[in-house]
Amino acid sequence: MADPLLAFFTVMDGQGGFVVKEAPKFDLDLYIQNYRGRTRFDRLFLVGRSSVPLCIDALKAAIAEAKRGRDPQRYREAVDCLRIAAPNEPEAQFDYAWLDGIEASNRNETHRLTAELKGYKNNLIKESVRMGNEDLGKHLESIGDLNGAAEAYSRMRPDVSTPKHLVDVGKHLVRVALQRREWSMVNAHLAKMGGHQGPEDEKALQPYLKITQGIAYLGLDQYHEAALSFLAADAGVPSTAYNEIASANDVAVYGGLLALASMERTALQNMVLDNSTFRTFLELEPHIRRAVTQFVNGRYSACIATLEAHKSDYLLDIYLQKHIPKIYSKIRSKCIVQYLIPFSCVTLDTMSTAFGHAGQSIEDELVTMIRDGSLKARINTIDRLVTTVSADPRGSLQSSALKTAQDYKKQAIDRLRRMSLAAAELELKGVKKTTGQHALGGGNEIMYDESVLV
Amino acid sequence: MDEYASVLLAFPNAIDLSNEAFHPAVRRHVREVEELVKDSADFGSHAAQLLEHVDPAVNSISYLALLGILLQRDRVPQTNVTLLICITKFLLTFDARQIRYAGTAFSSLLGLIAGGNLFPASVAVDLLATAILRIDPTGTMFTSHHLPLVRLAYFTDNVEPALPVIQKDIVFFPGIKSGADGRPCDMDLSPPAYITPESGLTEKIKNSTVLEYDLLVAKCFIQRRSWQQAFDALERIVSYPSKDHACSKVMIEAYNKWTLVGLLLNGKPPTLPASVSSNIRKAYSVLGKPYASIAEAFEVKTAAALKAEIESLGPQFWAEEVNLGLVNYVLSHYQRWMIVNLRDIYTKISLEDIRKLTQSAETGKELDTEAQVLALLQDMISSGMLNGRVEAAADGKPAHLVFLAPTEELSEAEFATQMLQTAQRIKDLGPIVKATNERLATSREYIRYLARDQKGNGKGIEFGGFETTVEDEDLMTGIMAV
Repeated sequence: MADPLLAFFTVMDGQGGFVVKEAPKFDLDLYIQNYRGRTRFDRLFLVGRSSVPLCIDALKAAIAEAKRGRDPQRYREAVDCLRIAAPNEPEAQFDYAWLDGIEASNRNETHRLTAELKGYKNNLIKESVRMGNEDLGKHLESIGDLNGAAEAYSRMRPDVSTPKHLVDVGKHLVRVALQRREWSMVNAHLAKMGGHQGPEDEKALQPYLKITQGIAYLGLDQYHEAALSFLAADAGVPSTAYNEIASANDVAVYGGLLALASMERTALQNMVLDNSTFRTFLELEPHIRRAVTQFVNGRYSACIATLEAHKSDYLLDIYLQKHIPKIYSKIRSKCIVQYLIPFSCVTLDTMSTAFGHAGQSIEDELVTMIRDGSLKARINTIDRLVTTVSADPRGSLQSSALKTAQDYKKQAIDRLRRMSLAAAELELKGVKKTTGQHALGGGNEIMYDESVLV
Repeated sequence: MDEYASVLLAFPNAIDLSNEAFHPAVRRHVREVEELVKDSADFGSHAAQLLEHVDPAVNSISYLALLGILLQRDRVPQTNVTLLICITKFLLTFDARQIRYAGTAFSSLLGLIAGGNLFPASVAVDLLATAILRIDPTGTMFTSHHLPLVRLAYFTDNVEPALPVIQKDIVFFPGIKSGADGRPCDMDLSPPAYITPESGLTEKIKNSTVLEYDLLVAKCFIQRRSWQQAFDALERIVSYPSKDHACSKVMIEAYNKWTLVGLLLNGKPPTLPASVSSNIRKAYSVLGKPYASIAEAFEVKTAAALKAEIESLGPQFWAEEVNLGLVNYVLSHYQRWMIVNLRDIYTKISLEDIRKLTQSAETGKELDTEAQVLALLQDMISSGMLNGRVEAAADGKPAHLVFLAPTEELSEAEFATQMLQTAQRIKDLGPIVKATNERLATSREYIRYLARDQKGNGKGIEFGGFETTVEDEDLMTGIMAV
């Protein structure tokens, strides 16, 4: 059984996917219970394709999940994967009867809903048209036609009559955009959702808005904005309000990790640890809380160790997966920078024990950090030291003053020269062309003014 | 002959004449000398003898006139050693105040020397440079003699003696019509007031002359490996003021060289000055593409990429562009800049690491031995490019390079002196600003504008400003044609 698995992950690796060999710390059944809707399949499928120990279980669960729904494409994908990974499992065989049945019924349903919608349109009843579109959208989404679903949902907008409807439209569109990984569309839809309802409803909607916004920013690589969004989410609302997107545990992980990657120590203390609303989320994921506390307290190697221990969990998250290497390296560089602040000189060996992986020197990492400007230090490879560069305000002021004076003189001369040239009418002038074409249209037609210009 | 001598020696009749006395006296003297030269053929035959009695430093105008006649009469003046000595003596000692009244004769003498037949080139360049600076000690005025000088210097490889002239910052150009009519003998005048096409000390010039001059100056400095000065000269061309988005071939040529010299000077691609308009920028980016890719490869890519970038076009291309030498220089300098940039990362680094971390763009590979690295480093340190020292292997430590701190912090007193010097240099610009201001204020257009403005104020009409008025005039009636 090991061989087909190996073959499967070789394929996955070749496709640029992540392969996680360590067993994650969560239980698959408990994990997936936190979600509802189509994201359940997506998450199971992702775990199945990435995690070696959970591969078969997750793929089986994904197939079961797909069969509960109406999307034949998903079913095919999941079975295809399982056939490579574990060809002997009973689920690895296509259930053609189910497939044919579901495809036929999908076609009929689409046909029926389209016809109904047409009828509503002829009757010109706005509310019916809206609901017709909504039903069609939901159906198309469930069968996997996301493009059509997005269209149907956005056709709902002209017939909206209450703020609640508006929010519904928004939620549908956001959900579809998230599945299609169109992050900027998510933000655009979110922007239209807020501020239309009473304070009670608005409050219930707040975490949904903040969390989806955070995910969208995360997708756009804007970590700081994403962190701020997650940190602002209200924990008082039950997670059912947003569990078709993410769970409360996810909010804690996303918010905590991104804050670690993008914020300074004082900001972390004030906005993460002392943040009473976010604390509720953090209690769900105590090790994130621990990592942040360790960072704030200056125990950087412990912080990194804590994060490393849970890395495999995060690598199996649908939104986080792609960003984990980047987020981790950001946190690591921040740790190194913070670590060096109190020192003027540290030996390379000390740094290696604090941050290095087993047997791997930290030197290359430092070189990269110094080169891209995130670390102000110099390396002494002979005595094996890292010296931090202290700011020298006096020296820099002196040189900048001298430079300014020099530049001033240079500019003054240049201006005088240009004035003189202009006054003596020695500027370069283009030859007037009859066609009125641009002077350098072809790139070859250089004009060279030879005439005496006085 | 005594008659002639009495006329020739009549001026100056006293030393330190006031401007009021000098002006009419010298004008009369010039007229009399001119008549002598024009009228009598006999005078010409005595010229050689007369020359012995006239002192070039005192009776400069007379001396110049005699030289003129002798040069005309002699078919092969370059063989006449006595005459050549006299010319040299004259150019080194003449009275600049008098020569302001004999500009035409003076210019034709300089022209003859710049022709290059009279003297050996090295002497000619030296004489021309000295003469130009004696007329205009500030060196801030461009004349029609500048281009022949630098042309002779560059093409005969005699840049050294021309340096005093080509190192000066030029801010004045002939050709402004000035309403002011002063006495040229006033030694307090700014150069543009007496070096005018009317005085004969310069001719009218074209913009192509200015461009060519700067390009040749740049080439001179490139030849001497004075990158900063070459870069400045090229930048003057690149940012040359232009109307109607015009862009000349010289500017493109300069832009290409400017990119390469910028790389050599700073180790990174230069940025265009803000005064360059967007259309010209576009022209540069289209026509200077091969150079832009070199600059990019130099900054971000590897030595092999830079080498490939340059070789993809072949030496033929660079030779046709007359930049082969510079391009090769850029190639050979690539590794040096890589080493210099290591300073931002390391304080001490072993030679072996340097060998591994940097590549030569000439071969696209690392150097073969530590000894080669050592030789390169020593060359860089002695040329002043690298601030550091090499320490030999000892105590179990490998041979390594120590980067020294970029600049030692200045003491308060040193800093004050440096600031004072800079401030003084800025103060020195004062007279130039004043002269420019006066020139512009006395230009015909501005005076017209003032007159109109006053009239307009009387009637309560508001004018937009000098610029708009002139622009209007230009469009409506064509002020230039007036």
